[in-house]
Amino acid sequence: MRTGASLAVVERPFRPRAVEWEMERGATQADHEATLLAQIARRDATAFETLYDRYSRAVYSLALRLLGNPQAAQEVAQEIFLHIWRGAGEFIPTRGSARSWVLSLAHHRTVDALRRQRVRAVEPLAEGDLGAGGGADVVDQALRGIEGATVRSALMTLSPEQREAIVLAYYGGYTQQEIANRLRIPLGTVKTRIRDGMQRLRVQLVHGEEERR
Amino acid sequence: MTHEQASELLAAFALHALDRDETRAVSAHMRSCAECQLELALLQEVTGQLGSAVRQVSPPPGLREAVLAGIQKRQNVIQLQRGWAVSLAAAAALLLLVLAALGVSLSRQLTALSARLTAQEQVLALLAAPTARSVSLTGSVTAAVRFVYDPDRGRGALVVSDLRDPGREFVYQLWLIAGTQPESAGVFRPAPGQPIVLPLAADFSRYQAVAISVERAPSGAPQPTTTPVLLGKL
Repeated sequence: MRTGASLAVVERPFRPRAVEWEMERGATQADHEATLLAQIARRDATAFETLYDRYSRAVYSLALRLLGNPQAAQEVAQEIFLHIWRGAGEFIPTRGSARSWVLSLAHHRTVDALRRQRVRAVEPLAEGDLGAGGGADVVDQALRGIEGATVRSALMTLSPEQREAIVLAYYGGYTQQEIANRLRIPLGTVKTRIRDGMQRLRVQLVHGEEERR
Repeated sequence: MTHEQASELLAAFALHALDRDETRAVSAHMRSCAECQLELALLQEVTGQLGSAVRQVSPPPGLREAVLAGIQKRQNVIQLQRGWAVSLAAAAALLLLVLAALGVSLSRQLTALSARLTAQEQVLALLAAPTARSVSLTGSVTAAVRFVYDPDRGRGALVVSDLRDPGREFVYQLWLIAGTQPESAGVFRPAPGQPIVLPLAADFSRYQAVAISVERAPSGAPQPTTTPVLLGKL
């Protein structure tokens, strides 16, 4: 069966000597520069197990923090690792660390699950129900669950309004619009708080940023 | 979306606090904007730390087994209808076949709902890309084996439509070869009477060739132990 020209077929005669296995040399050079995620992108199950053992605790803990339910956290964590298995090729080393890539993917999937859960539960987004607590309960609860001292103190350098917006977004899984509804403030105000708050956290938390710029 | 608009939304994007449409628009801008990519990397270092700061809890022991079982399933090849040819005219029909086959073979898996969409998108994108290339693998055995890949997107798939059974104790192992260094890209067995597709993601600029060798079942070898039976230059 011949392939049409449209897919830019590159056919060359078979030349067995074009590639040499060189087993003797190969064994000593194994695993030279390949990162774990690059290996996973090539379907290396052993590399995946290593990654699982390195990140399962962090991923599960984050999912549990957001979802508050071990069963749901387990389901999402499983989904997250399958995404990593499948999507590892999308990780680009020059765009940040593997750790922040994994945690960002984990957060994204967990937030999606949380939003599906809320749709199922038909969480009332009407003003009446949400006005009273605003964000204070969620914020207090989230801050109590934060054990990392550096992050805790970085969050405490924010204004209470910035802290509230960022905590509701990250640990509460709310969109900017939902936060505005919840707090009964204009969307533009939420956007500003999130942007300024994140800039401030960046200065506090991302070391060596000056050198990287 | 303009650069200014995207850059205003980046912090919320990193927090996953945008709605679907906004997320899509920012992602689209991001693909071509190095400045936003760098900015996002820094913001994701922040969100990564927010995520790492929560109280750490050990996952239930069943999770590990469930995850590893899930990827074993995922490694199984996807079966296609027989008799396909890649040409511009047939491409659309082929896409439908691929989508149908993916739909049937994966739909039984409980966890595969979103996986299916992603796999479909990947194969779809691969076949539709104008930069896609196709290489025929040849060698010491009679076979109809082709490697289709898109170097720009780092996606590829081995398509095996005729290859004899290696015997019960053996599997075929696919290798990507960088210089003289073969790197394993997975093992497979041909399905009698049916073409199979083995999708993979890799930076193809690193590799000069793909090769297939016969290795011990079930999981092959870390490095090839036999000479390749099939080979194709990228």
